[in-house]
Amino acid sequence: MSVPALKSAAQGASAVSARRRRLTLSMERREWLAGYLFVAPDALGLLTFVAAPAFLALALGTFQVDGFGGYQFVGLGNYRRMLADPLFLQSLRVTAIYVVALVPCLYVVGLALALAVQRPSLASSVFRSLFFMPQMVSLVVVALVWQVLLVDKIGLLTRAAAFLGLGHISWFGDPTFSLAVIVFISVWFLMGFYMLIFLGGLQDIPREFYDAAKIDGAGPIACFFHITLPLLQPTSFFILLVSTVTAVCGSQTFDLIYVTTKGGPANSTSLTTFYIYQTAFEFGDYGYAAAMASVLIVILMALTFVLFLITRGGRFHYA
Amino acid sequence: MDDRKKSNGGRAASRGAGLTRRGVLSAGAAALGGSALSSFPYISRARAAGEPLKFWQFYAPGGPVASQAKWFEDMVTSWNDKNDVKVQLEYITDYMDGTKLPTAFASGQGPDIFVISPGDFLRYYNGGVLVDLTPYIEEKAKADLPAGIMGTRMVDGKIYGIPMEVEPMAMYYSVEAFEQAKLNENDIPKTWDQLLDVAKKLTNDKRYGVLFESAPGYYQNFTWYPFLWQGGGEIVEGGKSAFNSPATVQALKFWQDAVNSGVCPRKPLGGGAWDTVPNLGSGFCAIQNVGIWGIAQLREGSPNTKYGVFKLPTPANGKYVTVGGGWAFVANAKGKDPETAAKFCVWALGSMAPDSVQRVVDWCTKAKSDMPPRTSALEAGKDAFEQGFLKTFKNDIYPGTRGEPRLPPQVYKAVSDAIQACQLNGQDPQAAAATASQQIDAFLAGYKGAPLL
Repeated sequence: MSVPALKSAAQGASAVSARRRRLTLSMERREWLAGYLFVAPDALGLLTFVAAPAFLALALGTFQVDGFGGYQFVGLGNYRRMLADPLFLQSLRVTAIYVVALVPCLYVVGLALALAVQRPSLASSVFRSLFFMPQMVSLVVVALVWQVLLVDKIGLLTRAAAFLGLGHISWFGDPTFSLAVIVFISVWFLMGFYMLIFLGGLQDIPREFYDAAKIDGAGPIACFFHITLPLLQPTSFFILLVSTVTAVCGSQTFDLIYVTTKGGPANSTSLTTFYIYQTAFEFGDYGYAAAMASVLIVILMALTFVLFLITRGGRFHYA
Repeated sequence: MDDRKKSNGGRAASRGAGLTRRGVLSAGAAALGGSALSSFPYISRARAAGEPLKFWQFYAPGGPVASQAKWFEDMVTSWNDKNDVKVQLEYITDYMDGTKLPTAFASGQGPDIFVISPGDFLRYYNGGVLVDLTPYIEEKAKADLPAGIMGTRMVDGKIYGIPMEVEPMAMYYSVEAFEQAKLNENDIPKTWDQLLDVAKKLTNDKRYGVLFESAPGYYQNFTWYPFLWQGGGEIVEGGKSAFNSPATVQALKFWQDAVNSGVCPRKPLGGGAWDTVPNLGSGFCAIQNVGIWGIAQLREGSPNTKYGVFKLPTPANGKYVTVGGGWAFVANAKGKDPETAAKFCVWALGSMAPDSVQRVVDWCTKAKSDMPPRTSALEAGKDAFEQGFLKTFKNDIYPGTRGEPRLPPQVYKAVSDAIQACQLNGQDPQAAAATASQQIDAFLAGYKGAPLL
């Protein structure tokens, strides 16, 4: 190849390279773009399936809706009605009891199970699977199975209770026991999931801490309270947050209540979510149901805010 | 071949197959737009003009009683053989308590034909979705539908639903349990007090003496109404609550006493107290408060159970009344073709043609065990109604039947809460009646719609 030809080729290559440089983004810009592209599908999903319906529900809460295409603007009428609705107030009370009972129970049981099966062994693997197994089954099936076990007079556990001198207890039919039974079954159903999260948290704690504590003469209880529990703070925060949301929304309990008690006896298991469902689909009062759902969301956001406030935004400093 | 050529070749191949990136994007956008457009009710209605009319009901093939689904299928086949506009059955699970029917109407996608009970009538009538069937029913057929049964399906003299059955409530008892307790037919209770006494004798470690519904819902209210009426009580009278009455208190206390004395369970087995096989059939209870459909249930699900039927006991100085429920065919006024849907309902159950009358007879005697809602059907099926337990119902139980009331959900809920509070939570019946009555009055003050019956 001649020299002019080489020169011309070099100039051509340089022009292409300059064009490419003009089109190519800087590293910083590319990372910025990639970040937004990664977040985009999730953000779009949240906007479409969470934010937009939440906004629509908020708007719907200011209407009286008959379920057949009739809308009548009532402003804050539905919210005023809520304050005087004994069933709504009772459902809030039931939900509060449910949250206060469920969240600590799930925390304690989940952590206890995780501690029991954290050491790698064949038995631990088997028990991990067994504890997680309820999560693999539909909640409707879970409800039916427990219903058979706890049926009046002839259920296995009812007979066991009678044998122990507790008499013929109607677990689902007596308001004294019904909510407690729902909490118990919820814990039994959910414990495997929380156990797994705790296991992840436990595995993040370096073994050296325990070895050093042992050398200093610390026993298992001291290790638990001075190493395990403090270093599980981020996991604990996550679990408290998720279990609170689960309990307030009743998202993992609706099927259970629907199959076993239908909110009874005497509304004793009528969580707010269940009452919202009844109001919308049994009574056809969609506007009022939407208003109640909006209030529930506000309560949930307030609880989450308090949790973030206590933990300073979920940041933990072990020093 | 270098990479560029490979790439070009690939694109060419893609183009050849019609799969370009732009093409895929355009097709996706078109599909999205199309589906969004088709979700608008008017467009989807126009698109569905040639489609069969949808008939929603809850008798699914493979259900507990096969003959019931077959009756529906035979009826639709018979219509489709003779008519250009076809009807298609759709089986809806959890029909009464589920979300499918209400959400379908809320989104303007309700079925063309569906079934409702009197408990749901006001909701759909006040929603403006029920077709007036009167113009399609011949005069002779109107006279064939007894006024007592039709009342809750009519507004201002117009018929909005044609019933397929009348289902009076009664008491079923286990002959085996009676024999074990050394009781016989002479011990069949006639009063509430006698019922509680007999139930006590029948109760043991594994069995309850009597069973009433305890799950909150329309069905529990339905089964409780006759005990209210027997003492002369009413829920609404003259546009105001009549619930706070001695009759209400007495009826609430009766069910409360049954539970508190330990003769009635707080929770039935199976699907609920409407279900005879897991309760009376299994020996869980000795006497069960259930409707006429129990005959077919036990015939198919527990044929070896020996049982008897007697009419509801009454309070001292009370009058015998029972409640008769039942479902009716209705047509959707906002459906694809309301006129044909209305004609279908009338053709199926409300015509004087022999096949229409026979269809009612077949439903009430073969597919199910019910009383017919038509005089001609009672006559045409007299052989069946003159034997076995259907005869007991026809002669003893049915004559005191009052139609299931039609009440809006808010009134139903107030009554339901009163029943639940007394039956299962030990509340004072007088206080529960007063609370419910206040709630009913508060609702009625702003109620606009068809009269409550």
